Amino acid sequence: MRRPTEEKQESPKAKSGKGKAQRASKKSTRGKKAAIAIESHATPSKSIEALVAPESLSIAIKPQVLNKALSSVLKSVADLVVPFPKDIFLPALGGDSDSEVPGAPSEPIYTAVQRANIQGNILPGFNKDHQHFLFFRIRNVKRAKLWLRWIAPFISSMDEVLAWVRAFRSLRRRLGVDPPMCATWVNIAFSHRAIALLAGKADAAGFHDQSFRQGLAARSTYLGDPTDKRNPGHRSRWRVGGPKNEADIMVIVAADDEEDLATRVDLIKARAAGAQLKLLFEQRGDNLPGALRGHEHFGFKDGISQPGVRGKVSSAPGDFITPRYIDPADPRARFFAKPGQLLVWPGQFLLGEPRQATEDLVTAASSPLSVRPHWAALGSYVVCRRLRQDVPAFWKFAVRAAFALGISPVRFASMLVGRWPSGAPIMRSPSADNAALAADDWANNHFLYGDDTRPVGLRPIAGYAGDGFTQAQQDFLGNVCPHFAHVRKSNPRDVATDLGKPHDTMLRFILRRGIPFGPPLLGAKRYTSLFARKERGLMFISYGATIEDQFELLTRRWANSPLQPNLGGHDPIIGQRDERGDRDRYIDFPTPSGPRRIKMKEDWVIPTGGGYFFAPPIAAIADVLGA
Amino acid sequence: VALVTRFDTPASVRDAPVGSAFYTQWHGFVAGALTTVNGSGTGSGSKFYDASEIDVTPIAQHTLTWMAFPRQLLIANRDDRRVAFAAADAVPATRSPQNEYCEWWVKRNAAGKITKVVFVAETPEYWQQLWTFSPTLVRDLYRALLGNPAITEADLRAGGPGSAYNKFNAFNTTQGIVHFIQSINTLGAAIGLARGSVSLGSQRDNYEMSPVAGTSVDPRVVMDIGSLARKSLAITFEEPIGLYIAGYDDTGFSKPSGAPAGNYWKIVRGAPGRILRLEYEVPAGEGFVVGDIRIGGRPIEWGSQLAEHVTCRIGGIAGSAGR
Repeated sequence: MRRPTEEKQESPKAKSGKGKAQRASKKSTRGKKAAIAIESHATPSKSIEALVAPESLSIAIKPQVLNKALSSVLKSVADLVVPFPKDIFLPALGGDSDSEVPGAPSEPIYTAVQRANIQGNILPGFNKDHQHFLFFRIRNVKRAKLWLRWIAPFISSMDEVLAWVRAFRSLRRRLGVDPPMCATWVNIAFSHRAIALLAGKADAAGFHDQSFRQGLAARSTYLGDPTDKRNPGHRSRWRVGGPKNEADIMVIVAADDEEDLATRVDLIKARAAGAQLKLLFEQRGDNLPGALRGHEHFGFKDGISQPGVRGKVSSAPGDFITPRYIDPADPRARFFAKPGQLLVWPGQFLLGEPRQATEDLVTAASSPLSVRPHWAALGSYVVCRRLRQDVPAFWKFAVRAAFALGISPVRFASMLVGRWPSGAPIMRSPSADNAALAADDWANNHFLYGDDTRPVGLRPIAGYAGDGFTQAQQDFLGNVCPHFAHVRKSNPRDVATDLGKPHDTMLRFILRRGIPFGPPLLGAKRYTSLFARKERGLMFISYGATIEDQFELLTRRWANSPLQPNLGGHDPIIGQRDERGDRDRYIDFPTPSGPRRIKMKEDWVIPTGGGYFFAPPIAAIADVLGA
Repeated sequence: VALVTRFDTPASVRDAPVGSAFYTQWHGFVAGALTTVNGSGTGSGSKFYDASEIDVTPIAQHTLTWMAFPRQLLIANRDDRRVAFAAADAVPATRSPQNEYCEWWVKRNAAGKITKVVFVAETPEYWQQLWTFSPTLVRDLYRALLGNPAITEADLRAGGPGSAYNKFNAFNTTQGIVHFIQSINTLGAAIGLARGSVSLGSQRDNYEMSPVAGTSVDPRVVMDIGSLARKSLAITFEEPIGLYIAGYDDTGFSKPSGAPAGNYWKIVRGAPGRILRLEYEVPAGEGFVVGDIRIGGRPIEWGSQLAEHVTCRIGGIAGSAGR
């Protein structure tokens, strides 16, 4: 359905004496010659806020009550226990032949050469407990090239990471705990300047992503970062990636074992020093310990919803990069890998590969050759953001607002996120956290917003009893999972957006590969103000085929906007806003008596560094950039 | 009060003298366009209704937002935004690419730099009705909006004296802008789209449909109203009925000095959140023009670069249907 292509006649039925009205009008304006004065006025910068302005929430709480509640909340979140299911049997090699969907479009098969060429943190992702980020500046191009030829064989490919991940996943499902397997992996990415230095300006100009060519520092305020130089989040104060400390090369080292990690990092640093690569900054990242493993510092499980990348590892039936679990008889098997995980063509993340079409969920569109140097095929743009998290500020806000609303702080904070701390989606468990739901990978991401969610048929999975949790009921208006909730902002799923259909939303998906840094405050034995002030946060890492239309669009157009993709407030987790120094944001929080506007004046996620990079195909590291 | 006794003008503008018959005329026009229809398919039990005829107690307000910049151009130029920007500005005589219920006009100086961009969200029907009421009033409004006292009624006519209003007149195309001229940017089309969306068929969710449309606004309306219809609700547009500019985002806009750009937006018609005419121009005395401003480090070369940061809206009301 669409609007007509030709203008409609402007003469609908007249019901109210049109002729009479016309006669009257002539009379009333006869002889009227006075000029009309148009009075314009500066648009209030928050114009929509004036239009849809629910009553503000009045917040008042005594400091001692706040502190007591805060410490109780921090403890309760840290004490969370999510039982990991066991005795589920998944294949360690290849896939299940019965996961092929008859009539589905054929997906690209990645040959051994291609699999060895794609960096492993793009696909399938490192997801290691310990990671170390090194940021270098090139001072001597010739020596840098020697170093690149040295490090190239260390770069971990999709092939080796995927083989390891499959074995690990299979064992973990069977045992219910992490199997004693260890690996150490390395990936690398380059700034636009680095590519110009190493491969020449012509090749660098061949990268059409304008944001990549500009760099993160140049785009910082466009992303809503602070414009005031006194603000700790201003780019001039960044630990790396500011106007005066932009990195040329980012190396990511990942390991299961901390000693293995340190050994590999030390080796790379030593060789880099010999190559006159200036180490601008380094950042250790670690998954949070114990029950909070996989959670970010505010306490919420992170990284649950990732796009399911289409493509196969071999021509063997069912040998998909992303395992398929939907019963092929269910029509949704054509566009979901598992419940809630949409299938996306690999060209959304790997340059040169078939990418998502814009008008339907299933078909692919070709990627043009002209948007990159020929050698960049199978590479991916990387966004790195070092985001400091002020955990006390976030939870104090939650406690204060929750007290005013008369609900629990954890419930309030979970509505900001869209998931409970365990990762259980609010949409499927509106009134309380549900650890069993959170632990069920085939249920914890299966929900729609606009309409009731229907059960989905699954292929038989040995040892898995099925999704017996209550299905999500429609929440079109955002009363259960509010429009501002972080997960709904970042992925509005089935609902239309300011950019069109849900199909358009799929063009915005990114592969998230972040990891926390700094000591956790949650679960800390001693809560002192000094310890509370220690730096902690998230090393946000994402991969995609465009920075402008994926990461930047998600950030600026959706997270930072109270209007988009649906009206209701800013993303209270990652949303940034800076209109001429005004950083106030708000949410319109749903309550039984209507929404209440809650303003957010403090920043609890503060950008402190990063960069825009390109992760090339592995062969290009030595053969092009190091040549 | 649920029942609308008189449909107001868009954003309640008072172009004609208060109390004049024009407001009755406009009410009649809107009521005529708002035919009540009952939904079908999974939306049976729903309806799109004329709020001046049917009393429905609203239970929800829903704001439908979309980007002013044409999706069609973004899709056709996925890998080159500059081509899309140039194309969106390229046809001032018909503004044919600007099909998202927002159109704009760009003014440049002798050096080719942009000095002003004017966005409108005014339907041709409103201006046609106003012309029917009083051509002189339309002429005076053109003069005031464009700051040009030399505009005559003859400039706005299709032919000689007594001939019809020509919406493609020079002051609404190449030399200025007052209201929509793009062929599908009409109030009638918007109402028709919404009305048709209560009878979509058997879809149970949006993954079971893919409206064929190049725009952002069409699937937005079809899917949002379709979703409300699946809940057997009665749906209509919020009063005052109109297509509006909801707001804009100029974070990351910077002056030639690198400092954040000032608030150079002006609502010229309408009200905050219900903007009909929005102008972007750097005040004299700042020492630079719009074309010197950078958005995220990129100079403004086309008016369409601003359109990417302008959001449009229409308000929807849903209530218990009854039949």
